[in-house]
Amino acid sequence: MSARDRILGRVREALSERTAVEHPGSFEGWRPAAPALPVDGLVHLLEAAGGEIVRQPNVDAAAAWLASFCADFGSSAVGETVPETLRPPLPAGAPDTAPLGVSLARGAVAETGSLIMDARDGRRAQLLVPTHVVFVRTRDVYATLREALTELADDLPSAIGFHSGPSKSADIGQILVKGVHGPGRLVAVLMGDGD
Amino acid sequence: MAGRGPMSFTGPGNYREEAAKTIRDKPEVRTSITAATRTFDAHRVHAWRQIDADRWRDWARDVKSHVLGHLDEYLEQAEEQLTANGAHVHWAETAEDALAILGDIVREHGVESAVKAKSMLSEELGVNAHLESLGVHVRETDLGEYIIQLLGQPPSHIVGPAIHLSVNDCQRLFHERLGTPLDAEPDELAGAARDALRAEFLAADLGISGGNFLAADTGTVALIENEGNIRLSTSLPRVHVACVGIEKLVPKLEDVSGFLQLTARAATGQPIGNFVSLIQGPRKNDEVDGPEEVHVVLVDNGRTKLLADDAAWEALRCVRCGACLNICPVYRQTGGHAYGWTYSGPIGAIIAPAMLGLEEAMPLPYASSLCGACTDVCPVRIPIPELLVHWREKAVEQGLTPMTETMGLKAYAKLAQKPDLFGAAGSVLRHVPLELGGRALPVLAGWMQERSAPKSSKKSFLQMWKEGIE
Amino acid sequence: MAMRVSLFATCLCDQFYAEACADAVLLLRHLGVDVDVPRGQTCCGQPAYNAGRPTEARDMAAHTMHVFEDAEYVVLPSGSCAGMIRCFYGEISGVDTERAESLARRTYELSQFLRQVLNVETLGPGLEGRRVAYHHGCHALRELGVKDEPLALLAGCGAEVVEWEADEECCGFGGLFSAKLPEVSAAMADRKLDTLPDVDFVTSSDGGCLLQLSGRAKKRRTGPPFVHLASALWRGVAR
Repeated sequence: MSARDRILGRVREALSERTAVEHPGSFEGWRPAAPALPVDGLVHLLEAAGGEIVRQPNVDAAAAWLASFCADFGSSAVGETVPETLRPPLPAGAPDTAPLGVSLARGAVAETGSLIMDARDGRRAQLLVPTHVVFVRTRDVYATLREALTELADDLPSAIGFHSGPSKSADIGQILVKGVHGPGRLVAVLMGDGD
Repeated sequence: MAGRGPMSFTGPGNYREEAAKTIRDKPEVRTSITAATRTFDAHRVHAWRQIDADRWRDWARDVKSHVLGHLDEYLEQAEEQLTANGAHVHWAETAEDALAILGDIVREHGVESAVKAKSMLSEELGVNAHLESLGVHVRETDLGEYIIQLLGQPPSHIVGPAIHLSVNDCQRLFHERLGTPLDAEPDELAGAARDALRAEFLAADLGISGGNFLAADTGTVALIENEGNIRLSTSLPRVHVACVGIEKLVPKLEDVSGFLQLTARAATGQPIGNFVSLIQGPRKNDEVDGPEEVHVVLVDNGRTKLLADDAAWEALRCVRCGACLNICPVYRQTGGHAYGWTYSGPIGAIIAPAMLGLEEAMPLPYASSLCGACTDVCPVRIPIPELLVHWREKAVEQGLTPMTETMGLKAYAKLAQKPDLFGAAGSVLRHVPLELGGRALPVLAGWMQERSAPKSSKKSFLQMWKEGIE
Repeated sequence: MAMRVSLFATCLCDQFYAEACADAVLLLRHLGVDVDVPRGQTCCGQPAYNAGRPTEARDMAAHTMHVFEDAEYVVLPSGSCAGMIRCFYGEISGVDTERAESLARRTYELSQFLRQVLNVETLGPGLEGRRVAYHHGCHALRELGVKDEPLALLAGCGAEVVEWEADEECCGFGGLFSAKLPEVSAAMADRKLDTLPDVDFVTSSDGGCLLQLSGRAKKRRTGPPFVHLASALWRGVAR
């Protein structure tokens, strides 16, 4: 008998006389107040968590914004799923040395103020850079975390990260510090489908 | 207990002494812990006001109870899915088994250095000491864990391992070890830690994490954090090992949506942890980075024993949010070290008797005034005071309570059924100076040590009533 | 016919807060209630129950249920004992659950009874100008859900109940806990005393809590007077 069999055996024995409880059904995030519109909710929470929001009407406008934003940076590490138009006009840098990282989020979650980072975009560029710019289409903003996870479940990469603000810690005397160890600056660029 | 080393605990048996020493000799610990836990709890209160907390808690309790009631099925499903995802699944009955599995992985991959995400289970198992004995350099990457690793101390709280330390303590430590100025602000201290740890992340062969939740339907290990060190530890090294207690199962990935939010709100008052990792397995062919191998070690180490207890199994619903520690007026006076084990506070007191054995866990079930504040805040509604009384009943049955207590309470109960004798005994109590009585009865000695003798009324009320009250 | 209330003094208040029990009698009579004090009353059994001794608890509960069998209302100057009867008598292993539930339904802590049954609003002007701190005993607060009742009654006597950061935190009595783990128990009392604002007195519905806080305060030679709620309210009636 393997460890597996012994553990499962002990579990079964422990449960043999017990009546089980039914699964109560889906989590509905019950709240007293009606939620804000998804994009507004996302913006509110990300900003409260110390993230910066940039809103652009469409991808081209976002690209123009990016061109001026990266004037201060020497190089960038760019995610694999970032479309050509949104690649910054900078020399390519390695994720562990570039001052800027640019990613495309798979989506976002309004309920929690989170950007959905897919491993296929490349994890290092999402984590090692001090400044992280994340593009997300407003049409990819889910209202709730449950909706997001239900859809993601059908197409999961090796890892998904939910990033809900710049890296932070209060481990030193309960005082908030940023940027240990993930990006200390998070800029979320919300792109509409308009003109 | 496995993995004894400089960072491990000495057992709950010395709780009274350790608590007394902390209170007497290190009053700054009491101050730091009180401030930190009050802050955490205030954040929780604020975060729960924004939601229908009762409904969330009922849901979470029922999902966890459901999982625990079908735990074997969900464990098998999780194993199947993880394996299909390309992860290796191991089963560890004891801490020794888990450490042996880690040792095999270390040897197979020639691991020289490892980075660790904060994991209470890894503390429980004694992972660091064991790996170091195998010649592996182990670096804690959570800022709080990093600080206490440098100090050679164990964590004192489930969520904030270094809350017993002040800013001054950190300034002195970093000055000594990292060369920062003695008056460096937290910003600068954190920056020094980031630079030191950055090199370690990039060089490590192995990343070790725990697991907050394990979704059975997709084979997903979910991890919560604020710093990003868990994402880094589980993404950069070639090999990632996740140690997950068997009670961490959740039926579906969509259920994880509720637990991520409720746990974060309960622990720190956030809508969600700043970074959440959902890990299915090793990097896929179309991915540019990520570990080549992912191992998930499913750990029992006394959890099946807890499951078998008809009352205490409810403690397995615990999501390790620390809310009960934050509200506990007993924990607040000393922090976690006095409890002598990985898990302290109310949750520690109700799982220790099953996981360590009741005798070794004593006196933790008594380290409570049964005030009930913990049940008000537990996100999964564990009936903690009831379980403390449950373990006290077991302690009585197993003869682990002092003879004086047994005799005293038996005599008291008999007296209470004989009202005239009860009244007479009360008279004696009122007329014998308690200073004297203190030497005779240990229970009075305990009282007298810290408090003045209570002033008894001249007559008992029942006497006054007999004589007439106008 | 006037309402009849049976007073259960409780083991602790009988010995250490006898005057407060007498004040409770006077207060209830003043409110037009007939008070009797059933002979044979001793202890509700909570010390045994909390110490993990259900057999002893069951015996003491059976005795208490017998003593108060005919009571219309049972009123206690103690939140913890009222909590024991209302919330835990039915849970004691081997207890007569029907009798336990019957007693539970008829049992009240004093301030709970005054507000929820007698609907008392103002007792009198006796505490006008008094700054008072209220310690919420854990059992009254969390088991009985009694929180506003004592505050409203004190305010109704003209008292100013001041804000106290630690007012809902456990005082550290916990029955045997105070003797088994005296250092932690004392630290819990210190937390209460160190955060206490400047007041004329501290009051509470629980004798154990008052013994704990006053005992610690006296040892430290600090603190204002500690007065049982029954006495404070009787003082509040005063012309």
